[in-house]
Amino acid sequence: MAPASHALSARKLLARDWRGGELGVLLTALILAVGIVVGISAFVARLQTALEQESLRFLAADLVVSSRTEPPETWAEQAGGLDLATASTLAFPSMVFADNDAMHLASVKAVTDTYPLRGELRHSATPYGELATARSVPAPGEVWLAPRLFALLGVDTGDTVSVGEAGFIVSGALRAEPDAAGSMFSYGPRLMMNMVDIPATGVVQPGSRVNHRLLLGGNNDALTEFTDWIKPRLDQGQRLLGLEDSQPRINQTLDRARGFLLLAGSLAVVLAAAAIALAARRFSERHADYVAVMKSLGASTGYISRLYASSLFLLGVLATVLGCAVGWLIQAGFFMAFADQLPVTPGSSGISPYGVGAATALVCLGFFAWPPLRRLSQVPPLRVLRRSSESMGAQRPLDYVLSALAMVGLMLWYSGDVALTGGVVLGVAITVGVGFLLAKGLLRGSRKAGMRAGSVWRLALAGLQRRSNSSALQMVIFAIAIMLLLVLTIIRTSLFDQWQAQLPPGTPNHFVINVAPEERSDFAAFLATENISRERLYPMTRGRVMAVNEEALAERDSVDSDRRQRESNFTWSESVPEGNALIAGSWWSPGTSESLVSLEQDFAESIGAVLGDRLSLRIGADSLVVTVASIRTLDWQSMKPNFFMVFPREVLEGYPSMFMTSFFLPEGQKLALNTLVKEFPTVTVIELDLVIKEIRGIIDQVGVAIEMVLGVIVLAGALVLVAGVQASVDVRIRESALLRALGARKGLLLGALWIEFTVLGLMSGLLAVLGAEAAAALLQARALDLSYSPSYAVWPLGLAIGGGVIGIVGVWSCRRVASSAPLTVLREV
Amino acid sequence: MIKVDNLRKQVMVADGELEILRGINLEIKSGQTAAIVGVSGSGKSTLLGLLAGLDVASSGEVWIDGVGLSDLDEDARAALRASKVGFVFQSFQLLPALTALENVMLPLELAGAEDAARRATEFLHRVGLEARLGHYPNLMSGGEQQRVAIARAFAARPALLFADEPTGNLDGATGTKIVELLFDLNRSEGTTLVLVTHDEGLAARCDRVFTMFNGELSEG
Ligand SMILES: Nc1ncnc2c1ncn2[C@@H]1O[C@H](COP(=O)(O)OP(=O)(O)O)[C@@H](O)[C@H]1O
Ligand SMILES: [Mg+2]
Repeated sequence: MAPASHALSARKLLARDWRGGELGVLLTALILAVGIVVGISAFVARLQTALEQESLRFLAADLVVSSRTEPPETWAEQAGGLDLATASTLAFPSMVFADNDAMHLASVKAVTDTYPLRGELRHSATPYGELATARSVPAPGEVWLAPRLFALLGVDTGDTVSVGEAGFIVSGALRAEPDAAGSMFSYGPRLMMNMVDIPATGVVQPGSRVNHRLLLGGNNDALTEFTDWIKPRLDQGQRLLGLEDSQPRINQTLDRARGFLLLAGSLAVVLAAAAIALAARRFSERHADYVAVMKSLGASTGYISRLYASSLFLLGVLATVLGCAVGWLIQAGFFMAFADQLPVTPGSSGISPYGVGAATALVCLGFFAWPPLRRLSQVPPLRVLRRSSESMGAQRPLDYVLSALAMVGLMLWYSGDVALTGGVVLGVAITVGVGFLLAKGLLRGSRKAGMRAGSVWRLALAGLQRRSNSSALQMVIFAIAIMLLLVLTIIRTSLFDQWQAQLPPGTPNHFVINVAPEERSDFAAFLATENISRERLYPMTRGRVMAVNEEALAERDSVDSDRRQRESNFTWSESVPEGNALIAGSWWSPGTSESLVSLEQDFAESIGAVLGDRLSLRIGADSLVVTVASIRTLDWQSMKPNFFMVFPREVLEGYPSMFMTSFFLPEGQKLALNTLVKEFPTVTVIELDLVIKEIRGIIDQVGVAIEMVLGVIVLAGALVLVAGVQASVDVRIRESALLRALGARKGLLLGALWIEFTVLGLMSGLLAVLGAEAAAALLQARALDLSYSPSYAVWPLGLAIGGGVIGIVGVWSCRRVASSAPLTVLREV
Repeated sequence: MIKVDNLRKQVMVADGELEILRGINLEIKSGQTAAIVGVSGSGKSTLLGLLAGLDVASSGEVWIDGVGLSDLDEDARAALRASKVGFVFQSFQLLPALTALENVMLPLELAGAEDAARRATEFLHRVGLEARLGHYPNLMSGGEQQRVAIARAFAARPALLFADEPTGNLDGATGTKIVELLFDLNRSEGTTLVLVTHDEGLAARCDRVFTMFNGELSEG
């Protein structure tokens, strides 16, 4: 039959068969599956790229080389040769003098015009005034001062200050710099100037204590090449700083969101796969006759296989292309619609989401659509003479196992999370397994009840019972669809509650440090009169960990040791600080004078200390040894003062300390800060409100994304429903025709349909509720790190969706059955 | 030429073995027309299926132009059908998703014909359906559907044509017209025709008449 291979092409077959209806469902389901996967993957990828950029902000670059001496010219040349963008900064402490003879120690930072490579430098014309929008650095001959330095020096914008031998005009207030974190607690308030003015000051001499930084930005390959090049050239006192050195802030939130989105997405894919399998099955049943005729006309098995395989391939290509387009539109539309609210500029998603989409199409087709189609080639040609002659034989159990395995594999691949996938698979397995048994039991029970009811009920329930296997299967599939919806509703609610609880309204958005002990009460009084509520005032003492168990730690800047001496802020507390959780050891009893310390978990790891270890500390010129009494975890997202090292009051109180706290300042009250720095010039205010706004923004975006995914799930569920009903519609038409021929009124048939589908839906709803509770319990406990409690609220929801949606969609899908004239019905048989 | 030698067919049913054909012998020469009559359930369709290679016999042999069907696998039998055999069925067996023209083109395409559309159109003309090329089967009457089926059967110019109760689903007048058409085309194409029928008149028009009774065939 070689010449025949070009005769009836797959394209013709598909085009001619479109009216059959299953191809529509098949294609829609496939596009839906590909679209949702591409959309979510691309969305998350772009958000993640953006957030990585965000994190890099804290370096002001993709990569930084920090050095105590001026970096050799060759470094910048090498970077330039690799097409990396560069900027330089130079930081050092220096006295700043005002014309009025006031002077203060400032932390000076000189920057080149290209600074920063990542993140933004924000300034305003006056302290705490409106932020300037233009991107710039101080012009040569000008400086920007931290707001409180205005107060400390008694200067205004336009006045002159001098650093070393050079005079500068104060042209603005420095409000935010991306890489401020490391210097926040050191030296004095910031003065920023242009790099070209450094020689004129004459303050930077060989040997003076300065920090040079070479900032680099560019693509990953070039950065990697540069890293490899520079590593062997680094001296003592020179370090590379990369992404891992900047703080992860909202990563935890995003990780959860990502897991959740992908989970939701894979559920939509499972549903779409079910719709595909149902549609393919009906397609192949209808095509059995087609194949028998073609075979009687001389088509070979190989020809039939090739014809349907290439049809499927064509369908797959079409669906992949359209699905990728849909997915691209989903995420592009999303980012477009929310560009203004999005605190970050979305990065690029790369090509991989589209690969994921294509793979999804391949799996859906190969494991769900192909098995029933493959059996088509086995249809005996004798079927043309005797319709009842055995058709295709049952689907192989192996096919079901393979499909299930493929789906689990796909979900694992999406989520990269065994527990998450396990939760979903378990939920689905429970629903299918228990569901099928329950479903058959329910059907049998309802049939018995129906015998005693009126004829409409008897007809409807007998119908369910007669198709008991397929009814049970439909019930279970509907149940899974509803279950997915319920699981999402449950988890979404608890996720959102948690996220909102993390940053409730009134979350502190400003930190103050360096409150002198004698200023404490005045400071508290000031905030009280301004009506600003604050956290408690924590004492803060600067200290350094020198040794663990008498084993000295490496110098701070050492290149080749990851356990280094650590400088940190010490505080004392008689109780476990709010929001902290002990994970090892126990808290000391109040009033103890024992030399103890409580360490934050990651900090303890970084210095290599465990419970019971002795730490040698230095505070100023004094040394002391303390024993690790407990290990704690902190909630970094609480925006409350957090400390790595907490001591008993008796141990730390004797040392000089400053105090810190955090408070919430509404946007309109921002100018109160001006009064604050004037009255307490030594106090440093750290503005975090911008950061918090960003986190809020991202949580909101993710929320919208999740709602979109829920919408898609509903769509996928409806598709399954339609595909399922389509499968039974021919038989129903035949039955109806018979009933109408026997004198049944249209109203009776319609009523029976309503009862049948509503009862089916209610039973599905019941199964779904049980399955959802099981899945939610596992997911919340294991995968999403939340605590589980039964969600009775979803019970009526599940039943209502089941009865309502299935009732309506079911009756609508087979409206032809009851509403066509008996004659037409007969002719259609 | 068709030659059948001691052909038997048994099938397994719930309560044992059912013998449908009990040793059939038959020879039909090229260009002859033959009718098989007999009561319903006597095994006529089963025999037809075996002659066309749609099914395999339990024992015995069918030769088509000297080729023994039992030596051929399913695909080889399909190839034989594509090149030599045409069918007309009682229930028409048109594909509902295809138009009249596309239905007629199907066997031509399967045989790899280059000018399938032209030849299909020509045969639809010959059965008087030139105005209905683009119509779908469900919009046609039974007689029209059967005429499409006849056009489809002759379009590939088969050497052998099998018809299983071609008038069984049609009223008398329409059936007569279909019979005329069948014999007209058969005469002009020189096809060997084997038809199964209840219709005495139809049987009488054939060169030879066979009677099937309880799985056994006799001429006359
Ligand atoms: N595969 C089969 N399994 C069981 N019974 C069969 C099978 N094929 C045919 N029969 C039976 O064999 C008998 C002959 O069938 P058939 O050839 O269709 O008769 P006819 O076409 O003469 O009416 C019938 O009783 C039919 O039920
Ligand atoms: Mg028959």
